Amino acid sequence: MASKKLSNVYIKDAFSLAGPVERDGSIKDYDLVMDDYYYNTKTFEQSEIKMQKVVIDNLLYKNHLLHSDIDILVSGDLSNQISVSSYAASNYNIPFMGVYSACASFVEGLIVSSEMIENKKKANAVCVTSSHNLGAEKQFRFPIEYGAPKPNTTTFTATGSVAVLLTKENSKVKVESYTVGSVVDMGQMDASHMGAVMAPAAAKVIVSHLTEMNRSVDYYDLILTGDLGCIGAKILREYLKRTNGIKMKNHVDAGCELYLKSQEETYAGASGPVALPLYLFNKILKQKKHPKKILIIGTGSLHNPFFVNQNLSIPAVAHAVSLVVS
Amino acid sequence: MIFFNAFLLTGTFCLVAQLILDNTKLTPGHITSLFTVLGSALSFFGIYPKLIEWGGAGATILISNFGHMLYLGAVEGFKEMGVIGLFGGLLVKSSAAISATVIIAFVLSLVFKPKN
Repeated sequence: MASKKLSNVYIKDAFSLAGPVERDGSIKDYDLVMDDYYYNTKTFEQSEIKMQKVVIDNLLYKNHLLHSDIDILVSGDLSNQISVSSYAASNYNIPFMGVYSACASFVEGLIVSSEMIENKKKANAVCVTSSHNLGAEKQFRFPIEYGAPKPNTTTFTATGSVAVLLTKENSKVKVESYTVGSVVDMGQMDASHMGAVMAPAAAKVIVSHLTEMNRSVDYYDLILTGDLGCIGAKILREYLKRTNGIKMKNHVDAGCELYLKSQEETYAGASGPVALPLYLFNKILKQKKHPKKILIIGTGSLHNPFFVNQNLSIPAVAHAVSLVVS
Repeated sequence: MIFFNAFLLTGTFCLVAQLILDNTKLTPGHITSLFTVLGSALSFFGIYPKLIEWGGAGATILISNFGHMLYLGAVEGFKEMGVIGLFGGLLVKSSAAISATVIIAFVLSLVFKPKN
């Protein structure tokens, strides 16, 4: 049984920092934006560490919390050995766990931190994620200076960081249930077509969530996938329709919506663990008429350049969390 | 006339490279290696010197000229020192270009930072 209902875990607040391309994208009111990729540091990686620190500090400051008020910090990012998260966490005297499932790291972190505080009477958890375009390109494909051509199926790693505060106190967004997905490998080999790699994993977790929770797809006002991109989102809808007869009417892909169509350098849309929370907390939840029942699905392509170069196909995983917004 | 020839020659090489780049998954690194090998092959068959004669700088500024230089260096080395000379002479002719690339790249990397 991969699904579980949670009794009372709430998302109290979130703090977002967005990069320069995201700043010019479809969302205009991020909490903070950065104007260049260095963020007053020497390297892209150090810039990402600073980004995580900034969002954690601001989140705690905004909610009048001390380090000692936080019971656990769960972070994930795309760097080697998720060291960005570890370095950022070294600034705090808070118990820390790092999670990695590529772009599904945020949702995985949400599941882990919710589960950690679920059985406590009073507890706070902070869940952080970040990604950096130039850091991730170097990590997963080619350094940007190399100038390798990109096909139109490529997604553009979003730059930004989001910290989320989970509490046991009743608040606006409830973490209602979650489903942990299994790893799917459909034999896709193309590291510049992440949408096609991750769509089957997303489909699988949607089907298992709906079956195990005994719900139909129309139960949700919004199904928000993380970073399939515009092409991957189409693949997901068609795949679900053909294999399971599920019609995804309320489906939105955060990656596809984060940028404007005029931003041609972003190709098929945003990717990275931060795409989903950026869109969720700065667009969906800030709408006046926001959806009530939301299923968020983080999709992660679990590749690594070594295995891609050794011609292995790319496995993917997706995790789902159901949110109830009052 | 040689200007027109140079334009045609470089243009043709670039067209081929662009077609490869657009239609395959090869990256710029693959294509430069490919053209280097192509240059030495053409040099081996005696075609490259003729291209240089016909197209001037149109042939010498291309990466395939690097292949041509490798071949010439190796041949000269072989004549002077035998089999050892194949290795010893390989980079002699292109040494100026390689050293300049490495040193200029190093200096520029000290001055500039990658942006996006």
